[in-house]
Amino acid sequence: MNNYRKRNEYDRVLLFLLLVLMVFGVLMIYSASTTKIGESIEHNNFYIRQIIFVIISLISLFILLKLPYMLIEIMIIPLFVLILLTLVVVLFLPAIKGSHRWISLGILGFQPSELAKLLTIMLVAKLLDEQHLSHIQMLLRTAAAAVLPVLLIFIEPDLGTAMTLVMSILVVLAFSDLPFYYLVILVSPLLSIVFSVNAYVFSLWILLLGLYFFRQKVHLLIAGLVGILNASLYFLTPFVWNSLKSYQQNRILTFINPLHDPFGSGYQIIQAKIAIGSGGWFGKGFLLGSQKNLQFLPEHHTDFIFSVIGEELGFFGCLIFISIYILFLYRIVLNVGKLKRRFMFYTSVGIIANLSIMMFVNIGMNMGLVPATGIPLPFIAYGGTSLLFNTLALGVILKFASERSVFE
Amino acid sequence: MYRKRVSPWVPIILLSGMYAVLIINLFIMQVLNGEKYLTISENNYVRIVNINPMRGNIYDRKYRPIAINRSSDNLYFRLSELKDKGNLANFISASFDIDSLAVREIIRKNRFRRYYDIPLKKGLDRSTLVKIAEHLNEYPSLRLISEYTRSYEYPNHFTGHVGPVSEQEFEALKEEGYTLNSNIGKNGLEKQYEQMLRGKNGYRLVQVDATGKDLEFLKHNLYKPARKGVDLILTLDNDLQTYIRSIFPENKNGAVIVMDVRTGGILAYVSMPEFDPNIFSGEISQGLWNEMLNDPAKPMLDRVANGTYPPGSIFKPITAALGLESGVINVKTKLAFCDGGFQIGNRYFKCWQETGHGRLALSDALKLSCDTYFYDLSLRLDLDAMKAFTKANYLTLKTGIDLPVERAGFFPDEAWYRDNYGKYTGIIGPKANLSIGQGELLITALEFCCFYSALANDGLWLQPHFLEGYIDKERVKVSDYEARSLSISPETVTFLQNALDRTVNEQHGTGSGARITGTTVCGKTGSAENHMGELTHAWFAGYAQWEEPEIAFVVFVENAGHGGTIAAPLAGKIVDFYQKLRSGDPEQYLKLLPVMGESNE
Repeated sequence: MNNYRKRNEYDRVLLFLLLVLMVFGVLMIYSASTTKIGESIEHNNFYIRQIIFVIISLISLFILLKLPYMLIEIMIIPLFVLILLTLVVVLFLPAIKGSHRWISLGILGFQPSELAKLLTIMLVAKLLDEQHLSHIQMLLRTAAAAVLPVLLIFIEPDLGTAMTLVMSILVVLAFSDLPFYYLVILVSPLLSIVFSVNAYVFSLWILLLGLYFFRQKVHLLIAGLVGILNASLYFLTPFVWNSLKSYQQNRILTFINPLHDPFGSGYQIIQAKIAIGSGGWFGKGFLLGSQKNLQFLPEHHTDFIFSVIGEELGFFGCLIFISIYILFLYRIVLNVGKLKRRFMFYTSVGIIANLSIMMFVNIGMNMGLVPATGIPLPFIAYGGTSLLFNTLALGVILKFASERSVFE
Repeated sequence: MYRKRVSPWVPIILLSGMYAVLIINLFIMQVLNGEKYLTISENNYVRIVNINPMRGNIYDRKYRPIAINRSSDNLYFRLSELKDKGNLANFISASFDIDSLAVREIIRKNRFRRYYDIPLKKGLDRSTLVKIAEHLNEYPSLRLISEYTRSYEYPNHFTGHVGPVSEQEFEALKEEGYTLNSNIGKNGLEKQYEQMLRGKNGYRLVQVDATGKDLEFLKHNLYKPARKGVDLILTLDNDLQTYIRSIFPENKNGAVIVMDVRTGGILAYVSMPEFDPNIFSGEISQGLWNEMLNDPAKPMLDRVANGTYPPGSIFKPITAALGLESGVINVKTKLAFCDGGFQIGNRYFKCWQETGHGRLALSDALKLSCDTYFYDLSLRLDLDAMKAFTKANYLTLKTGIDLPVERAGFFPDEAWYRDNYGKYTGIIGPKANLSIGQGELLITALEFCCFYSALANDGLWLQPHFLEGYIDKERVKVSDYEARSLSISPETVTFLQNALDRTVNEQHGTGSGARITGTTVCGKTGSAENHMGELTHAWFAGYAQWEEPEIAFVVFVENAGHGGTIAAPLAGKIVDFYQKLRSGDPEQYLKLLPVMGESNE
């Protein structure tokens, strides 16, 4: 046996798939920023800017892979503190399109929430790796680390990003050493609120929860407390709902069912559905989407880029695109499967969860399956910050995969 | 250090689940329902049709219309149905006075708005309407739409007008539901109360096929009716307004404002020459626009709140009050002997009456408007104190009237004289001029009306306003207007009231022209020298009381002569008409109104 452990090669297939997605994204943004009616053509320069973003992202990825591994791990906490400060600062900057998400750097805008997401996942992974802590301590520290960034992103407001971050952290917890019932306890209040619409459904839910706790031999005190909390939500929810102003109620109803507000977000979804559906088997052809060209589709280079893909490339195009995307995600999973160290594994699980959730929610939103919440399609949609940090997140996983033997 | 093992099947199951959900849904949408969606997207376009709300009306205090909506026939076109550009351009230019190149330019500018109705010509008259309607079949892109346009009952300077949202306004306001086809208040009350008057847009989600017909595709209730704007009720009285317009000297410029002493509500607001906001309802021609801009009489200038002028003697009560308040004189103090003027340094300041007034006390000096008294008084006053006192009584300041644009008057101070006339300039001469409302002093008629109203009201200054209330399901009264106190003691106010009474109602008083039976008119005349012409500006400011003071007014006629001979009799007539109005018997006052000609047609 050779005692010398060398670094593994970077996964070339994964890098190739990444490049394919990026190039495809640029092409679709080119189409989305082109308006063609008869002879007249109008271009926006979004695609040129996206090409620049791709180049910047790839250079950053290259630099990240060259950095010494320990530097990455050491920098998590200082960077986390810095990004929290930035998230506070951004709230006091003038709003762009009604929210405080961007820090304007001349012609470019920077969204600190994208970096905050990555750093929060890494910090949570680090905390879950602290073996001397009890499970409860671990959970409390995780919650403490996550609550500030989530809250700050939520009040920007950027509901979509805040929710994907929470969901990614829940997935990390599910894959961690913590008992699974912790997760059930964490999620139970949310389900209680949803089920409180009907007394029978709610009773059934509390009953099942109790049975589960009994099977898992959860401590009686904890089970009791959770039970009381959930039961009180049954009475609190209608009270809180009725005390909301009608426009606040409408906003929540519209979030759940966009058609509740057919002139706002419902309109975008109706148009996106028509665009995708009208693509048929083979689509209308590159640059030729009529819904897109007539500018019925709002935001079609960002959140609704998938509707342009669906309209112009049709079912076959989408099938190939989604297959490549899923393969890409699976290829990341294969890299992560070899990781043994907790910190590396948890970070990677968080990143994969984040990418998968964004991809699923975005495409689902375009097809009207999921409520509309501005979440971009990773690596495809127009946007520099999102592209840069998604690429760097992938870089972190590649770095882990290459360094894993050093630590084993 | 090392993690627990996770089955490799977990990620595979999760990813395949996602994959299956997305692909199955895509299959249902694109393959199974693809035809249906394709039909919608190719032949039919789902879009939001904006329904412009009906603008709120503006009424006078007796609920008679001032600004309302009248139906008019407008011509629009839609690019999606346009076959032959040149043909259409020729037809339009032949039917109206529009260059065919201009029509092509409109088409080019809107080439990406294919499914919107783009306005070509508003307010078609009957004969053109018939002519266009006959040819409508040949030009499927044209459509005649009957809409409402704003119409104003009489020329005035306070309603302002509405116009289409400009490109810049649209960028700023599109979030609030304005479209390029909506109207917006451009100035005057229309702009001030835009939010109330405008109403709320309605929407319809329609599916329109190639013939422009609505198809029912979406089963949801996709209609939200527009909500009409709120109707405004003004404090203005149309009869009084009309009467004042009819008696204003012909071919003269000027302003008349009448205000309710008890509320600050404006009863009449006349600026001459008149200006008709209706000219903006159709397309205003470049020629008419230039004519209005270059007219030396400046018909678009609102002389009540935006014209600043030297006030002349109507300013004297301020100088008098400052003399009393600062203690340099009392009501019995007799100042310099008036022999038709007063020597200050090497300059002789003339009194308006060349024969002189002799030695007078303050009350008589006000009644006879003796300039000499005030020249002498000015020697005992400090210039900056005069300015501060003027401002403390809300003159040369904006009054806060509910109009979007208002100008404030101007009172120079020592620093201003040094900046403009050199470091060593004397201020004694300018001070003497300012004390009688001459020199560089400028005020607006509105400011003075508020001041005289406050004198009548025992020192209570009320914010002038047009809006009395509005009708939002029921009649709501607006009452959040400001009330402040003048910086003049009650004794001095009473003294001034008495002096103003004597000015009009005693023999030899300069304001005797305003005297009428049945009421007590109090006021002060002014004849302000100015650089605009030979004759002085004629001013009369004052108030009228029955059991208690009810109305305050300022009458101002540019370059017309003496206030006592020109403005005071006008004020008297106005008060007399108001007296007939308040008696409540229409017989009494309606016959005084001129017969309105075809101008309203």
